[in-house]
Amino acid sequence: MKVITVFKWLRNPQDALVKADGSIEWPGVKMSANDDDPAVMEIAAALASGDEIIALTIGDGDLAWAAARGATRTTVITDALTEVNSSVTGAILAAAVKHLGDAEVIIIGDSSWDYGVVSAFIGQLGRPALAGVTAAQLQEGCIQVTRKLGSVSQVLEVNTPLVLAAMATQSEKNEPSMKQVLTARKKPMEKLTLEELGFSSPFTTVSSLKTRFPDTPPAVLIKGDDPVCACEELMAALHTEGVL
Amino acid sequence: MSMKSLIIITDERRVGGMLMAARTLSEQVIAVVVGSPSLAETVATWGFERVLNLEPASGIPAEAYAALLAEVTADIKPRLILASDMPSSRVLLAAVAAKQNAAIIGAVRAITVCGDTIITSRSMADDKVLEDIKTAGVIAGIFIGDDLEKPQTQAVAIEHIEQKNAAHIKLKGIIEPEGNAGLLTAARVVSVGSGIKAKNDIKLIEELAQAAQAEIGCTLPICDDVRWLPTHRVVGSTHNQIAPELYIAIGISGQPQHLAGVRDAKIVVAINNDPEARILKNCNYGIVGDLYKIVPALTAAFKNLV
Ligand SMILES: Cc1cc2nc3c(=O)[nH]c(=O)nc-3n(C[C@H](O)[C@H](O)[C@@H](O)COP(=O)(O)OP(=O)(O)OC[C@H]3O[C@@H](n4cnc5c(N)ncnc54)[C@H](O)[C@@H]3O)c2cc1C
Ligand SMILES: Cc1cc2nc3c(=O)[nH]c(=O)nc-3n(C[C@H](O)[C@H](O)[C@H](O)COP(=O)(O)OP(=O)(O)OC[C@H]3O[C@@H](n4cnc5c(N)ncnc54)[C@H](O)[C@@H]3O)c2cc1C
Repeated sequence: MKVITVFKWLRNPQDALVKADGSIEWPGVKMSANDDDPAVMEIAAALASGDEIIALTIGDGDLAWAAARGATRTTVITDALTEVNSSVTGAILAAAVKHLGDAEVIIIGDSSWDYGVVSAFIGQLGRPALAGVTAAQLQEGCIQVTRKLGSVSQVLEVNTPLVLAAMATQSEKNEPSMKQVLTARKKPMEKLTLEELGFSSPFTTVSSLKTRFPDTPPAVLIKGDDPVCACEELMAALHTEGVL
Repeated sequence: MSMKSLIIITDERRVGGMLMAARTLSEQVIAVVVGSPSLAETVATWGFERVLNLEPASGIPAEAYAALLAEVTADIKPRLILASDMPSSRVLLAAVAAKQNAAIIGAVRAITVCGDTIITSRSMADDKVLEDIKTAGVIAGIFIGDDLEKPQTQAVAIEHIEQKNAAHIKLKGIIEPEGNAGLLTAARVVSVGSGIKAKNDIKLIEELAQAAQAEIGCTLPICDDVRWLPTHRVVGSTHNQIAPELYIAIGISGQPQHLAGVRDAKIVVAINNDPEARILKNCNYGIVGDLYKIVPALTAAFKNLV
C-alpha cells in the first residue's frame, strides 16, 4: 500500500543558550532528524511491503535522509516557517499530503515534547488516527498496530485510511550504509512552495510575547566532600519537604 | 466570544490541573469523558459545571469516536479546549480543535488572563524556558502543567452521549508489562544510571532502596546496553512515566528522554560527580559527589530514620 511519511530536522534543545533575560539563542547548532523518525521509516517499510513510500519534510537539512531509509521519493516544502504556530505547520504538512494524492497510510513521528504539530496535522487530515504507535504490520488485509498507552501496550486492528504517530523506544539501530546514502541522493526529489499548496500568507491567530525562565526555584546543591554531612543536610531538607 | 472551556478526558491524569487552568478564564468548565461510566462518575465530583460521557462500545478504543466527539461538541463553542498528553486524548483533541478552528498549543504549563488577553505559557527548549503566547481565537492546548489533589465537591449529573459511527479500530489484545506494578505506584524510587561502574555495584543501590523502602528504577543504557536491570525498570518518556513523592537519581546525566519520565515526581534528588551535569539543573536537591561515597552514607541515613 502507498505510504506517506513525514520527517523533521530540528535543533537539539541542549544546544539552546538561554540568556540572563530568558531569551534564547542557538549558536552554531547541529541539526538532526527527530528521534522518532527512524521508527516512522521502519513502520512505513513494514506496511508498504514494496509499494511506494513518499517522504515529506519542511525546510533544509539532509533531504536524502528518508530516501536512505527506504523512501522511494522525497518532497520538500521549501519556504515554510515552522517556529511559532504549530497549527500552521500541521496544516501545511496536511495540505502537502493531500497534494501528494491518496495514500492509505500516513505516518508522522509522534511528539514527545511539543504536541502541537502532530495534533494539528491529525486534525487537518480528518482521518482515523492513533498516537504512541511502536509497531505496525499487515495481517490478513488489516493493519495491526501496537501502541503504548500509559504503562500498557495495546494491539489494535485498523482499516485504511489511517494516520499513525510513531514513537521510537531507543536510538536508531540500523543506520544506512554509505552505499544506501549515495543511492538515496539519486532518488527523485520534488520541491514545493507554500503558494503551490494554496497558502498565500498563512493567517495566524497566535503570537509569541516573550520567553522567560520558569518560576520553579533553582536546585539546591549540596557539596558531597563530606558524605555524612551532605546526607544529613539532604535528609533534613527532605524532612521539611514532607517526603520522609 | 464565549468564555466556556471544554476539557477532554480519557483518564484521570492532570484533570485537576486542567480544571484549575481553565478556571482562570471560564465560569463554565465542561468535561467530556470518553471512557467508562465509572471514570465519568469520578470526574463528576471534581467540580465541573457539566460532565458529558461518551462510553465506547466494548473493545473499541476512544480514538474511534474522534469524529463523533467533534460533531457532538460543535455547539459548545468553547474559548479553550484542553486535553492531557495521553495518546488517545491528543487524537480526540486534534479532531475537536480542527472542528472549532482552534490554534493548537502543544505543551501548556499555565494559563493567565490579563485584561481580555489570554496568555498561554508553553514549555520550550528542554523545559529551560517558558514562552508566553497570545492567542486571538479559540485555543486548544495539550496540558503538561502541574496536577492538583482532588477536592471534595458534590457530584453533578452526567449527560450521556449516544455512541455511534465508530471508525474501524478494534482492540485485539493488551500487553501488560511484567513486574513493573511496584515501580508505577511506589512512593519512593531509587534510580541508577551509567555512573555505576559494575553489575556487582547494583547491590549498593539495592541496599539503599531497601533502607528507603523504595522501588528500583534505571536509565535505558543500564537495561539496553549492559542488561544489568530489566526493561520494566526503565524510567523515561518511552518506558515508565512515574509520579513518586521522592525520586533519587544516582549517576544519571538527566537526558530529556529520562527526565520526561519523572515530570510528575514531587521531589527529585540527584547524586552526580559532575557539577555541570544537566540533572543538577533539573532537580530539587543535588549532591555533587561520587556515588560510591554518597550512596552508602545515604543508606545509613535512611536506616537511622527508623
Ligand atoms: C535529544 C532531544 C531532546 C529534546 N528535548 C526536548 C525537551 O525536553 N523539550 C522541548 O521542548 N523540546 C525538546 N526537543 C526538541 C524537540 O524535538 C523540538 O524542539 C520540538 O519541535 C518538539 O518536538 P516533538 O518531537 O515533541 O514534536 P514535533 O516537532 O511536532 O515532531 C513530531 C513529528 O512531527 C513532524 N514534524 C513536526 N514539525 C515538522 C516540521 N517542521 N517539518 C517536518 N516535519 C515536522 C515530524 O514527523 C516529527 O517527527 C528535544 C530534541 C532532541 C533531539
Ligand atoms: C528514541 C529514544 C528513546 C529513549 N528513551 C529513554 C527512556 O525512556 N529512558 C531513559 O533513561 N533513556 C532513554 N533514552 C536514552 C537517553 O537519551 C540517554 O542516553 C540516557 O538516559 C542516558 O543514561 P544515563 O544518564 O544513565 O547515562 P549518561 O548520560 O552516560 O550519564 C551518566 C552520568 O553519571 C555520572 N557519573 C559518572 N560516574 C559517577 C560517579 N562515580 N558518581 C556520581 N555520578 C557519576 C556522570 O557525570 C553522568 O552525568 C532514549 C533515547 C532515544 C534515542
